[in-house]
Amino acid sequence: MANKKDIIFKNVEKTFGKTKVIEHLDLHIREGERLILLGPSGCGKSTTLRMIAGLETISSGELVMEGKCVNDVPAGKRGVSMVFQNYALYPHMTVRDNICYALKAHKEEKEEIEKRLQMVLKIFGLETYVNRKPKELSGGQRQRVALARALVKRSPYLLLDEPLSNLDAQLRLQARKELVKVHQYYHQTFIYVTHDQVEAMTLGNRIALMREGKLMMLDTPYNVYHRPANVFTAKFIGSPATNIISAVWKNGLLHCGKYSLKLPDMWEKLIIASKETEFYLGIRPEHIHLHAGLSDNSLGGEVDYIEDYGNKMGIYFRMNGEEIISVDNTIPGSSGSSVSFTPDFRHIYIFEKKSENSIGYPPELDINISAQEKMMRDILSQGSQVKMGQDEVIHVHR
Amino acid sequence: MKTNQNLKTARPLHKRQIGWHLLMMLLVIIALVPVLFAFISSFKSMQELYNGSLLPSQITFDNYGEILSSLPIFKITLNTFIIAVTVTVFKVVTSTLAAYAFVFFDFKGKNVIYFFLICTIFIPFTVTMIPNYLTVSNLNLVDKIWGVVLPQLADASGIFLLRQTMKTVPRPLIEISHLDDISEMKILRNIIIPICRPAIISTGIIFFINSWNEYVWPTLILRSRENYTLSLAMQVFTDSEGGVEYTITLAMAVITMLLPLTLYLIFQKHIMSTFASSGIKG
Repeated sequence: MANKKDIIFKNVEKTFGKTKVIEHLDLHIREGERLILLGPSGCGKSTTLRMIAGLETISSGELVMEGKCVNDVPAGKRGVSMVFQNYALYPHMTVRDNICYALKAHKEEKEEIEKRLQMVLKIFGLETYVNRKPKELSGGQRQRVALARALVKRSPYLLLDEPLSNLDAQLRLQARKELVKVHQYYHQTFIYVTHDQVEAMTLGNRIALMREGKLMMLDTPYNVYHRPANVFTAKFIGSPATNIISAVWKNGLLHCGKYSLKLPDMWEKLIIASKETEFYLGIRPEHIHLHAGLSDNSLGGEVDYIEDYGNKMGIYFRMNGEEIISVDNTIPGSSGSSVSFTPDFRHIYIFEKKSENSIGYPPELDINISAQEKMMRDILSQGSQVKMGQDEVIHVHR
Repeated sequence: MKTNQNLKTARPLHKRQIGWHLLMMLLVIIALVPVLFAFISSFKSMQELYNGSLLPSQITFDNYGEILSSLPIFKITLNTFIIAVTVTVFKVVTSTLAAYAFVFFDFKGKNVIYFFLICTIFIPFTVTMIPNYLTVSNLNLVDKIWGVVLPQLADASGIFLLRQTMKTVPRPLIEISHLDDISEMKILRNIIIPICRPAIISTGIIFFINSWNEYVWPTLILRSRENYTLSLAMQVFTDSEGGVEYTITLAMAVITMLLPLTLYLIFQKHIMSTFASSGIKG
């Protein structure tokens, strides 16, 4: 059931000249959620965001906001606020003027402006900087001013276009937490563009993964990571990337080159139902636990190269001539030694080779889980959360 | 050893810098000599000027006295000022508005219109002189300062200069204003003009000086001495019947120079920054 403030793309297309940047996009963004538009550069995620903002026209299809088609509604009438990658602060205005400019231009009451100003200043710890100009601020402070300016409008939609990409790693972590907090205060609909999968995983209630103008997967961070719908999603999310291994189904066994696997019943059923014979087997590096030598019902190869990440080890080995990565705590042997592993069948993905789509996931994976696992999934399905301090709970008029 | 090496590598650069500085000093001298000559000579008598001495043996203010007695010089200065200010204000306003439209609006034929506008910069004055004269004459504006002003209310070079500057304003600044539902006039007034202020001021100064020094067009339009501009007044002493009065003419030149020079000194920083950012040499 659609809420009034939902944003709905109905078969939307966008072309620049002859290039199609968005193809047949159907996307339903729910009121009050944090939706992440994720994908490699040039995938159309920023264009999608700019179409919501009204900064980009829609070539065909329909964009619905507040229950109405807004294709021809100008940007200023859509009730969106936005944070740009480079913050777009007015260079000649102080922090105070930057934050209050729109409110003043629309002749809001002075007291109301001051009240809202003080509130965002407090949230972002900017009280001491009100009279500074953007060039006198650090990157992190500018980013917070941009966010404060977007929030002071109290619009129902907040669009963020890679707002953290100009910050260093430490500030980014802090800013991520702040963003989640801000969302818990205001409960605006967040639409957040990023190419950084960690940001996407940590900030999103749901992730919309895009490639070349197409929506590849739309789901919770948990499912995008643990239940990828296609090869692209499996490879894009997670670092190092998911290993994708060619496999053929023959005589009740899954053959990967010279190795073959006997799959549990739950997977066999799905493979038979797919009526395909050629597949890709996906296994994340952290789910490969290598040991020396060869054993039954396992895959293996020769160690090529070993990397030390500090907390973990990256072991690169060759299986049927292809490079496979394992991330583990121990090293099974030096380079050149032969190793093998038996996959943990709760943590494998199987994709049809032709379509590169997943054959699905056995329902058993979600039924036979421990109480602890269930609790963890329930918490994670709502996205990241921050504990709000007593003094931080500010009453917000909505 | 080390210091020797350093000296060796530093020396050629140093030599080149000296060369550049000498060249620049030479250029400054070439530019300054006529001005100094005019200034010094305006305090000489005609006789001393012909003597060829560098400095006057006796400073005389007769040349300035002669100007004051033979011409309504205050009225003439006022005329020049009114013309220059009106022309400058109109050109700056029209250029700013047009440049804004060319940079931030999308409309059909934008590039074609811009191309034709820029072409007008290359049309020589002599081509438009006669049609303009006829228009002004038909409007009964001959021998009126508004006749001088009328054809100069807009200028493509100003549009060009300001468009170049406005193009450097980051798009998101405009987009964020659009998202905040700010009208175009307010964006122009509160965002673009403050950001582009140095460029706008220096464009204005260029217009002002050009208009101040304008000679041919006022000669065609203005007839009576009380309507003259300063550059026209100079000519009074160059072809009067008693021969060319060089020292008085040079004194007149000094008077003409005073105001633009003062303005330049005040706004020097803005002018330099505009030319540095637009990549155009003055």
